[in-house]
Amino acid sequence: MNRFVTANPSKCIGCRTCEIACALAHSEGAGVEGLAPESFKPRIRMVKTADVSTAVMCHHCEDAPCVNACPNNAIVYRQHSVQVEQERCLGCKNCVLACPFGVMDVVTVPAVRQFAGLTLSLGVKAQAHKCDLCIERGDAGPACVSVCPTSALTLMDREAMDETLRRRRERAALEAAEVAA
Amino acid sequence: MEKHMAVCPYCGTGCKLNLLVEGGKVVGAEPLNGVTNEGELCLKGYFGYDFINDTKLLTPRLRNPMLRRSRDAAFEAVSWDEAIQYAAKRLGEIKAKYGPDSIMTTGSSRGTGNETNYVMQKFTRAVLGTNNVDNCARVCHGPSVAGLQVTLGNGAMSNSIPEIEHTKCVLVFGYNVADSHPVIAKRIIKAKERGAKIIVCDPRKIETARLADLWLPLNNGSNMALVNAFANVLINEGLYNKEYVANYTEGFDEYKKIVDKYTPEYAEAITGLPADDIREAMRIYAAAPSATILWGMGVTQWGQGVDVVKGLSGLALLTGNLGRPNVGVGPVRGQNNVQGSCDMGVLPTEFPGYQKVTDPEIRAKFAKAWGVDSLPGEIGYRLTDVPHLAETGKLKAMYVMGEDPAQTEPDLTQVRKGFEAMEFVIVQDIFMTKTAMFADLILPATSWGEHEGVFSAADRSFQRFTKAVDAKGDVKHDWEIISLLATAMGYPMHYNNTKEIWDELRGLCPIFYGATYEKMEGLGAVPWPCRDLDSAGSKYLYEGNVFQRPGGKGLLFATEWRPPQDQLTEEFPLILCTVREVGHYSCRSMTGNCAALQTLADEPGYVTINPKDAKALGIRDQELVWVSSRRGKVITRASVTDRTNKGAVYMTYQWWIGACNELTIHAVDPIAKTPEYKYAAVRVEPIADQVWAENYVQQEYAKLKGGLSNAVTRAAKKAPAFA
Repeated sequence: MNRFVTANPSKCIGCRTCEIACALAHSEGAGVEGLAPESFKPRIRMVKTADVSTAVMCHHCEDAPCVNACPNNAIVYRQHSVQVEQERCLGCKNCVLACPFGVMDVVTVPAVRQFAGLTLSLGVKAQAHKCDLCIERGDAGPACVSVCPTSALTLMDREAMDETLRRRRERAALEAAEVAA
Repeated sequence: MEKHMAVCPYCGTGCKLNLLVEGGKVVGAEPLNGVTNEGELCLKGYFGYDFINDTKLLTPRLRNPMLRRSRDAAFEAVSWDEAIQYAAKRLGEIKAKYGPDSIMTTGSSRGTGNETNYVMQKFTRAVLGTNNVDNCARVCHGPSVAGLQVTLGNGAMSNSIPEIEHTKCVLVFGYNVADSHPVIAKRIIKAKERGAKIIVCDPRKIETARLADLWLPLNNGSNMALVNAFANVLINEGLYNKEYVANYTEGFDEYKKIVDKYTPEYAEAITGLPADDIREAMRIYAAAPSATILWGMGVTQWGQGVDVVKGLSGLALLTGNLGRPNVGVGPVRGQNNVQGSCDMGVLPTEFPGYQKVTDPEIRAKFAKAWGVDSLPGEIGYRLTDVPHLAETGKLKAMYVMGEDPAQTEPDLTQVRKGFEAMEFVIVQDIFMTKTAMFADLILPATSWGEHEGVFSAADRSFQRFTKAVDAKGDVKHDWEIISLLATAMGYPMHYNNTKEIWDELRGLCPIFYGATYEKMEGLGAVPWPCRDLDSAGSKYLYEGNVFQRPGGKGLLFATEWRPPQDQLTEEFPLILCTVREVGHYSCRSMTGNCAALQTLADEPGYVTINPKDAKALGIRDQELVWVSSRRGKVITRASVTDRTNKGAVYMTYQWWIGACNELTIHAVDPIAKTPEYKYAAVRVEPIADQVWAENYVQQEYAKLKGGLSNAVTRAAKKAPAFA
């Protein structure tokens, strides 16, 4: 099963700590001082409506519409998650249109190449931009989960999913017993 | 990488953290398992450290003492020696000419720590000879202190922050915990998960209202009517604890007489709440085996703040929710050390440790310890009196430390006139602020992260914080600066470190005496009262239901509801209520210089407005708009949201361009002198030319930032010899 981050709206207070942690985890070590409004593109987004505050992010679907929509096989299943091979991304945005959760985006970053000690500009490079579960952080896990001050975010893997299902079945059984009695 | 233990400088929760330092620069923060935060931090704690490094995103750090010899001159950098001599001479002259009460000082509820505040009030009382010392509790939880001191005898939270998650009912009144104290919000969520009932009284659909079992969206400005109606229900439905009331309280008959009129039906007309909801709230509250009331600025920032605080404490007294674990009353302090500045006596009424200046024995004790013949016994001026006192010529000089009243006080036009009218203004800060632009002398201090000391968390817990990096520039610790000034004014004052100061004040304050530096080592927290060296302090107050009042009983108090002062008219038909931004703090001089926090929210900020009001005015979401009141006019961005109630608009007070305090009214509580920030009549107008408006905001912002930055860089260039 692919792992994914879930948000519990009954714990979320809409503070956006997760958004900053996400942007920082993908800043390639630039640190907070590298953050600026124009380049701030967290892969997790806090959404606030009249009745709900919660974070939304990639579900790492088992049969992912983004994977299926990509004409260049740039989106792949790897390490129990959906990952983008950025060098293959064309920036065609098929994946953006295919994603039913609105959590895939295409962004452009400056493309450069090193040649004979010089930095050559190659215009811009497109990137399919989504939650990668911070796989580069290894055992530290997703940055958003680690900072959430109200523990509204959890990393759901097979084990956590089984535990959730077990609790739900237990609750269903108890409720059924009440109805029977 | 080095790690240095600190306490977060951003709210009263008192979260312990490590500052991560590389090459003399703070590069990160990680949570520690402190008593109040248990390994959590919010966005300000995690990402709010880079202001120390002088990012200059909003305004530069101060590096040198700066002086201007006339108000039309530019600042020039001067040596510490010249700065101190100049300050001593001017303050001495003003004191000789107009008397000690013509001078006022402020403590700072922010990063400087308790020791500095102690030294500041000592300087004010022993050297200047006045009780004119105050701090921003005046514009914050002043009414909580004044109200609770009368009814229960102690102005602080009666219980500790960790206890919140073990209570069975949380009554949240005028307190947006999610935006003010995110880490305390977790305690409320955990309480709910453990089966607690949550009741929220707030006109806005704040985050906690979303999670509440019962949300009472009362009309803005109807607090007292609702609290009286709560008491009415508790009494008339027989829900109150008769035994507790008989044994541990006084004033019941008088109290009952006043609240009798406030039936839920009577209150319905004032509060706009269905009578049955008012009843339901009290049935839940009274039924809970343990219940805690938490409140914030929605209770205190009113012309009738003290009365409502007293009324809320009455609900706890009626139901016996005091004097034991997991119950009580919680005025949750907003700024990281506003509890501490009150503890340290930067108040015009009290010496450190809540010892009254009007008590001759107390005065004699402090006079002896400080080596002076006598100390002033007259209560001093309040911070909110300053503009008026300055304009009428009573106040001639002010020494502002670590506060930015030209951003945070109500009715800023009046505040500016006040500063202009004064003969001599000293601003001691870490940043060039709007207030510093009015100064004659600017004294640069070390920042949080560059010094050590003790903070008081909202729940009375003393906690130590340490230094992480050396300060850059020609700056000194706040307490060193004040000591130098005292010495130059003929009162030799010298301390080698903060522990010396702490030990001196401990010795003078019986309720703090047992709180030694040793006990606060590492993650240690000592909640006062802590009277003995072998005591661990007091997690909750009023043990055995003994209240700190003459006779030891709690006082039941009620009074009639008074409507807010500003008048809604056709010209100004909407209520403006000022609130806070989760990612910014206080006047924003610190968080506005943090890249991550500034990335999430920047000028001109927002005015939130209900979709119905917005539609009627022809205003669309995210458009720039004008907001004006009888006192001023500012530009800001509309956020159209159902969470905002119809008829009211809300602005956060952190913005320097969209500065809501240009609009707020100087109407104060008669006792606490806290302003009615929560109710100003305003008009919101659309702007047809949005392109012009966007440019205007950018230009004004650039002009403001440029002015602050130039003041510092020009001064440094002029006299670099000793820099």
